[in-house]
Amino acid sequence: MNSEKKTIREQLGKALLFFDGGMGTLLQSRGLEAGELPETWNLLHPEVIRQIHREYLLAGCNIVKANTFGVNCFKCKGTPYSVDELVHAGIRLSQEAIDAVRQELDTDRPMYTALDIGSLGKLLKPLGELPFTEAYEAFKEIVTAGTQAGADLILIETVSDSYEIKAAVLAAKENSSLPVIVTMIFDENGKLLTGGDVASVTAMLEGLGVDAVGFNCGLGPEQMKRLLPQLTACCSLPVVINPNAGLPVVIDGNTVYNVAPDEFAGSIKALVEMGAGVVGGCCGTTPAHIEAVVSLCKGMAVKPVTDKELTVVSSYNHAVYFTDKPLIIGERINPTGKSKFKQALREHDMEYIYKEGLAQEERGAHILDVNVGLPEIDEPQLMEEAVCGIQAIIDLPLQIDTSDTAAMERGLRCYNGKPMLNSVNGKKESMESVFPIAKKYGAVVVCLCLDEDGIPETVEGRLRVAGKLVETAAAYGIPKKNLVMDALVLTISTGQENANITLETLRRIRYEMGLHTVLGVSNISFGLPERSRINTAFFTMAMQNGLSAGIVNPSSEPMMAAYYSFNALTGNDDQCMAYIASCPQGADKAQAASTAKDGALSLEDAIVKGLSESAYQATLRLLQQGAESLAVINDRLIPALDVVGKGFEEKKMFLPQLLMSADAAKASFEAIKETMSERGRKSQSKAKIVIATVKGDIHDIGKNIVKTLLENYGFDVIDLGKDVPPETVLETVKAHGVRLVGLSALMTTTVVSMEETIRLLRDNHIDCRVMVGGAVLTQEYADMIGADFYSKDAMGSVRYANDLYEAGAL
Amino acid sequence: MQSEITEALNRREIYRYLGYRGAVPDETVRQMTEEVIAEMMAVIAPRHIYRIFDCRTEGGRITLRSEDKGAAVLSVRSEKLAVNLERCEKAALMAATIGGGADKLLGRYEVLSMAKASAAQACGAACIEAYCNVLQRRMQRQASGQGFFLRPRFSPGYGDLALETQREIFGVLECTKRIGLTLTDSLLMYPTKSVTAFIGWTTNAQTCHIGSCSTCDNIGCEFRDEQ
Repeated sequence: MNSEKKTIREQLGKALLFFDGGMGTLLQSRGLEAGELPETWNLLHPEVIRQIHREYLLAGCNIVKANTFGVNCFKCKGTPYSVDELVHAGIRLSQEAIDAVRQELDTDRPMYTALDIGSLGKLLKPLGELPFTEAYEAFKEIVTAGTQAGADLILIETVSDSYEIKAAVLAAKENSSLPVIVTMIFDENGKLLTGGDVASVTAMLEGLGVDAVGFNCGLGPEQMKRLLPQLTACCSLPVVINPNAGLPVVIDGNTVYNVAPDEFAGSIKALVEMGAGVVGGCCGTTPAHIEAVVSLCKGMAVKPVTDKELTVVSSYNHAVYFTDKPLIIGERINPTGKSKFKQALREHDMEYIYKEGLAQEERGAHILDVNVGLPEIDEPQLMEEAVCGIQAIIDLPLQIDTSDTAAMERGLRCYNGKPMLNSVNGKKESMESVFPIAKKYGAVVVCLCLDEDGIPETVEGRLRVAGKLVETAAAYGIPKKNLVMDALVLTISTGQENANITLETLRRIRYEMGLHTVLGVSNISFGLPERSRINTAFFTMAMQNGLSAGIVNPSSEPMMAAYYSFNALTGNDDQCMAYIASCPQGADKAQAASTAKDGALSLEDAIVKGLSESAYQATLRLLQQGAESLAVINDRLIPALDVVGKGFEEKKMFLPQLLMSADAAKASFEAIKETMSERGRKSQSKAKIVIATVKGDIHDIGKNIVKTLLENYGFDVIDLGKDVPPETVLETVKAHGVRLVGLSALMTTTVVSMEETIRLLRDNHIDCRVMVGGAVLTQEYADMIGADFYSKDAMGSVRYANDLYEAGAL
Repeated sequence: MQSEITEALNRREIYRYLGYRGAVPDETVRQMTEEVIAEMMAVIAPRHIYRIFDCRTEGGRITLRSEDKGAAVLSVRSEKLAVNLERCEKAALMAATIGGGADKLLGRYEVLSMAKASAAQACGAACIEAYCNVLQRRMQRQASGQGFFLRPRFSPGYGDLALETQREIFGVLECTKRIGLTLTDSLLMYPTKSVTAFIGWTTNAQTCHIGSCSTCDNIGCEFRDEQ
């Protein structure tokens, strides 16, 4: 046994191996009831499980999937069994079947037991309710049990959420040294059910260091044939294919799979010829299918696995490749030199960060740099929050940018995809702390060409550091393709040769060393006037000299003009389409003109009509004319909002109009905030209000509408988000001495949590009022659960808060 | 499928969700809503699954069985659903979703503009309704071939049909594995713009094939369509 355990890693991708087939359908045919957890049969009917394994082994398979697919702490809750005992029993039955068959046939055919791990069946945060760390712990429990029980490999299968897959793989890698194979369900378009594509998830899994990847379930062998080229094009690992016996067909209310053993085997043969190295079956396949596959394919050579040498990063849904066509890395999520950004970080204003991200995506960035470092904040915590928050709404891959290794690890760990990491340098200490983290999470690392002696002044000096970085990375197991070199930019205002040195270094790294490159472009003009002139010229020169990715501000028109022009000029823009699309269109110009016209509107008109840009401009004008911000708010902004609010209450105006005005008021506040921060003053708020969507509830648009309106009326809203435990509400209210709490719940099932939250506040004798709202609530219901106020719409909560404020109760 | 949903998408429904009832939205709101609809249509990924069972209702209990085996796959108590499925020999269980892209879009709008977020919320709701209507029309064609008519959709949470029924439907249809639909401990679905429902098949001719406000007894509903 031991020698085999050593060789399975070596065999993967070299000798053709056969998986067994489906288990669930066979169990059903032997009496498994709907709703019964199949893995309980490991203890209730071990002979049945052993017999199925035996049939597959006699059919000729090498790898038996132990009957552990559905075991996890959530599903075990409804049974008298523990994860540990079901997993141990499952592994043991597979081993017993293997031992028996080996003896019976007197064969040296390699036979392995796979610890089979399926989805937890829960959606992870931020979209769902399961925290990443809890998913990790759940998988860890299974991995630990299976490894102790003596499994030969870990198979993570039938998964379709890349984030859950990452939790499972980390649990496997950190708690076991067994080989890890991951097979996923894709649809016919090559998408996971959560939207990821083949390239993005493959990049992530290669980075995490799994041993083989592939497809299972969802599709039949013919559909997988169409999909396999997508995988082999980007994958440098052995490929595993376990299809269903065709697409499911419902006959008489039962799901059946129609592809017969011979036909199935024929398709599998083609899949092996195309590059699959491990083949077997999933739903609907039987020992007969596997027998047909083995007899047809046995002895076939496996197509050698080649390293695709791709430098790639990915988000949860798509991959971005470093090629000869340069990329744009958006630099704006970074507090350096930005007082407003710093203030946002201090105030924990995540929305500010998200807006910066969305704006850069809109302007054409391919990757976003994320730097949230400030001396006085908890950077690791904020990094995690920023990465998760950005990934919840933005599809671009991220570059985790920090010098704090704890923040680095937190950011990389919670990241969904294959991340980019900024940065390591040639100092021993830097390499020793950063490379292990980069290796573990499979990040593409930005390498700065400097070391203990500082930034070398010569091209040769920088190349030497680059060489040292490549060599040291290799010692940590990080291949060249996962390194991107920063040739470093020093301003030409302090050294005439600085640009030339950078450009020549760039050229030689790219074309002589064969590495991809990155630059923080705008440093070149530091200390000079009209910096964008120099920046754009230098950006073009750098791209011409082999720059793979520029860290730039995508909102800078001249920079993006240089970028699109460069691509058009170098034949990297088919029919100049991207260039043309980047040019201001007729409609944009017209809109700009109309905005200019609206710009003359008064603040009141702009708010009543719901025109954000006009409201912003009008506010700036008022402030420039010397108006006090408080007067602008109280005498102009609030009365205008009242007009709309009243119209809404009288049903003369409707929700979209109310919210367009709220958006406009928000823009007006932006102008006020900016001006005040320029004048070195802080804005004042009426009172703090805590709002939350209660535990168990993930629908929070109503709460967000209330938040916007309360902020419009000058309240400082502490938004705890959705799915908020009662304890969090209590702690926050206590910590900030808050006198008003707003709670929302959508469903009858979650109103229970609302009641619990109110009870907890009351039991702790907190002197605060609670207002509630949400689809299923009524005045009676609100009274019953002990709320102080029921708000039937968003304006109601504003009125209530205002009344309390004016009565001095807040 | 996208184009069919676009075609079936009901503007009046969207504005009704936004609180307009019968009123006509002004040009600015209409324009904003159209922008949101266009973006929404670009990100949806509609998926569905349904299975048809033998259906029996007896004393307020509904039992669904596979058409050949007779093993009960689902059994639930609900007077209202029993009325809905009265004299239905068969019933379909269905689940449909327009995918997580719609939720992500809503999240983006919440950062950029609450007005657009509210429109996206309404648009998403109308979108999954439109999708269900398209699916139901397809199912009607299948049913007609066998001489059946369809009853209006009936979902967990309607009337006295317990939300807990979601767990059983998810089990029977394998919603998570097959169409990426997940159920939280508090019985909410994600992606949020999703529907699970029973659809009765009866040989009795019906006048109302697709559910509307007139079949709902929540008279006080904010969004009730009186027409």
